[in-house]
Amino acid sequence: MLTINNLHARVEDTPILKGLNLEIGPGEVHAIMGPNGSGKSTLASVLAGREDYEVTAGSVDFDGTDLLELDASDRAREGLFLAFQYPVEIPGVSNLNFMKAAVNAKREHQGLEPIAAKDFLAMVKEKAALVELDGRLRDRSVNEGFSGGEKKRNEIFQMAMLEPKLAVLDETDSGLDIDALRIVSEGVNAMRNAGRSFLVITHYQRLLDHIVPDFVHVLSDGQIVKSGPKELALELEAKGYDWIKEPVA
Amino acid sequence: MATAQDQAQAFVAGLAASSGSASLAEAGRQALADLPVPTRKSERWKYSPLTPMLVNPVRTAPAPAGWPEDVPTNPIPGLDAYRIVLLNGQVVPEACDLPVADGVVCMSLSQAYSEGRIGEGDEDWSAYHTREWVGAVHAAYAQDGLFLSLENGVVLDRPVLVHHHATGENVASCPRHRVEVGANAHAEVVLWSSAPEGASGMVNAVLEAKVGAGARLGVDKIQHEQGAVFQLAHEHVTQDKDSTFRIHTVTVQGHWVRNELNVLQHGSGSHTVMHGAYLPKGQEHVDNHTTMDHTVPHCTSSELYKGIWYDRSTGVFNGKVFVREDAQQTNAYQQNANIVADAGASINAKPELEIYADDVKCSHGCTVGQFDEEALFYLKSRGIAERAARALMVQAFIGDVLEGFGQVEVAQEVEGLLAQRHGWM
Repeated sequence: MLTINNLHARVEDTPILKGLNLEIGPGEVHAIMGPNGSGKSTLASVLAGREDYEVTAGSVDFDGTDLLELDASDRAREGLFLAFQYPVEIPGVSNLNFMKAAVNAKREHQGLEPIAAKDFLAMVKEKAALVELDGRLRDRSVNEGFSGGEKKRNEIFQMAMLEPKLAVLDETDSGLDIDALRIVSEGVNAMRNAGRSFLVITHYQRLLDHIVPDFVHVLSDGQIVKSGPKELALELEAKGYDWIKEPVA
Repeated sequence: MATAQDQAQAFVAGLAASSGSASLAEAGRQALADLPVPTRKSERWKYSPLTPMLVNPVRTAPAPAGWPEDVPTNPIPGLDAYRIVLLNGQVVPEACDLPVADGVVCMSLSQAYSEGRIGEGDEDWSAYHTREWVGAVHAAYAQDGLFLSLENGVVLDRPVLVHHHATGENVASCPRHRVEVGANAHAEVVLWSSAPEGASGMVNAVLEAKVGAGARLGVDKIQHEQGAVFQLAHEHVTQDKDSTFRIHTVTVQGHWVRNELNVLQHGSGSHTVMHGAYLPKGQEHVDNHTTMDHTVPHCTSSELYKGIWYDRSTGVFNGKVFVREDAQQTNAYQQNANIVADAGASINAKPELEIYADDVKCSHGCTVGQFDEEALFYLKSRGIAERAARALMVQAFIGDVLEGFGQVEVAQEVEGLLAQRHGWM
């Protein structure tokens, strides 16, 4: 599904990713953990196509497509989804109009007619129920006046609407209380299937109690320095990151 | 080199004398000699000097043979309205459709003069010609327009559409409209100005209105002019007690536009709404000067102007709010927000509040910014293409200005024209 090979990226003159390799198969859930400043969010931004980041070397193959050649909107239409760490408030753009535009952009890409109003509303109802997003929030301007938990639930709602092939969750657990964490995780788990992959970026292990990964990777100074089964997350929680910072040959 | 004043004289030398009030025309001619033509040196015109307009002298168009076949008399599909149409400042009677009802006088201004409906000394409510060269030009060369008078308590069943079409090269049009809404009466007016490709010259339009006690007047004012017309529009409105005046001014397209809107509240309990939107492209220039004058207690006003400056467009927002000494308990709100979309564009925004009463609520805000790149990225990250994402954000930005149009059909047509012009479809 996703093959990252020797990825180097920088912001202005500061190199952040320094030769990152990662392979994610269809249906797999991979977690990336690591200390602050290790490059976790940069990886999410580079994958989503944020223009502030410059890729200086390496390649990213997304289901047979050269991801780095596409702009952000084309990446999304190819089936990549980024759940933002800090979802953006957009006053005046209603959540529903936003989603309708997004769903139709994807359908156009697939050669389909725009979705019928009735089907769209049924879809909204079904997907919103996944993350208990009530009508009031669906009808408001995008994320405007939403609490932290509501914003993250809205991210997962959008993910459910767009049914991506690969979802990158960037610190989705930040700012969530325990109930919201449960709701968000249940939403993600409901979407897990054999064809859909997830890349879960988190600082803390607690999210991984709810969204149980197949693989855990440790990112340090722009490289993956350790990979292992889900138990690795527990070990990191117990011991911290210091013991692992030096790459094990 | 010719001075601006010489140029100004040459500019108007080819104009036919006013077909309206002789005394007003005479007052205009006298004022013309004394008032300086606005150049960069005049504070009120610093960012909108008329020097580029004066380069090509203008002439009055001959009396129209009829309404041009390729221009719809009603440019707003689906709008059920009475209609007065003007070609280059002159009414084309056979293309008009005016109301005939008890308590309603709706006719051309020239007919109102000839029927003696405008009293001696009452021809002019704004004294615009005493203050501005542009006003003096208008008074000296004023042409025809709408005369609408509603008796007390009369509610006009349909809006009156005033469609002005400017056509031809270096043509001057000076349409003049007068609206009087009696106590507790209600009128809606749609002012639509159009011009085809190739049109040039000046449209110098004035609307004077009085809104009676408890009365309502709403104006949807749309500027949609191709060509290279200099549009100078002035509305002067006075409000009696407990009245409501609303105006939405949208510049869809215009080579060079100066809107001057003056509202004077004379009676307590009055409410005023002034909304404006502008999205100039290319090298277009749009200037909105507004004055909200609160002179009596217990009045409110709500002003919201928003715009996006593309390419190398330039413009001005200048919003004056006076709260006079007697105007206690005034609640005045003014907001002006601008997005400068391209590096070559510029806007000079200046809110001016002068408050002389001590028990008032006045709030104002003025912003000049750029598109929120983070929001754009968010939209794009959901698969929405750059252009569509920008369109969504533009519509969101000006959406609240476009709310509250008197006529929903006008709002729809405006949104359609903007979408077409800016590729939002």
